[in-house]
Amino acid sequence: MADHSKVGKEYPAMTWEVERGKIAEMAKAIGDTNPIYLNRDAAIEEGYKDTPAPPTFLTVPMMWNSSMPAVLGDLAINFMMVLHGEEEYEYYQEIYPGDIITGAAKVAAIEEKTSKSGRKMDMVTVEILYKNQRGENVAKARSLLVERK
Amino acid sequence: MAHELYFEDVTIGDEMPKLVKGPLQKLQHVVYAGASGDFNPLHTDDDFAKAVGMKDGVIAHGMLIMGFAGQAITAWVPKKYLKKFGVRFAGMTKPGNTITVTGKVTDKKQEAGQNLVFCELTVTDEAGDVKITGNFTAALPSKA
Repeated sequence: MADHSKVGKEYPAMTWEVERGKIAEMAKAIGDTNPIYLNRDAAIEEGYKDTPAPPTFLTVPMMWNSSMPAVLGDLAINFMMVLHGEEEYEYYQEIYPGDIITGAAKVAAIEEKTSKSGRKMDMVTVEILYKNQRGENVAKARSLLVERK
Repeated sequence: MAHELYFEDVTIGDEMPKLVKGPLQKLQHVVYAGASGDFNPLHTDDDFAKAVGMKDGVIAHGMLIMGFAGQAITAWVPKKYLKKFGVRFAGMTKPGNTITVTGKVTDKKQEAGQNLVFCELTVTDEAGDVKITGNFTAALPSKA
């Protein structure tokens, strides 16, 4: 079960350099053919500086940097018993190729709940605030993970 | 000419253009695993998925389905105007499912100099089973 004593704990920031190819790869993996994600000229035509990261792109630094798995490990959560309950993003500015994004995870809450079938679950909320290389906030991600016990 | 959406053009109750995806293939899970970095074998290895209780084998990454919702949103609201996007994962998506993303405008108001539009969205499969419910907020330009 999740270590409830770690609510409020903040983890060291992890850094991710954003590449144009990774932005296009993410759009292609989703099957999103919007040219702003795939083609720099098309993006500029639509008022962007370059191909912007698509809305769910921040899953890339979260998973490739292992920032979320590291938090789950520290909380002594059994990864095999985790379901993704909710995900929410607040966007403050675009993420572009060449940006160096730094995200620091924080355990915002851990609550125990009981499902309709009587099973106990820990509801773990992790927040990651992402900043760019200029120290500006670019986005905040909030993940609700459900650990079945 | 740039795709544009103005605050004045949006009315409460308006529906977002529907997006249909699928039937989904297992291969897309592999492609998405590589793109996202989420290599949980629950999404790519049928034997593993069955061993942890998924009788039909692999299920899609929840974030892939949220990605479909993001595709639908930013095909309608330019990405640069999207301020908030949140979902609740309500059901598992399997290979073969055909996924439909729908949404509608629930409120609009001017606040702190921004023209905000609030929308809800639902993602369902061909049987009408709900995969995701969610909402998003956009700050749109005004013609004024």
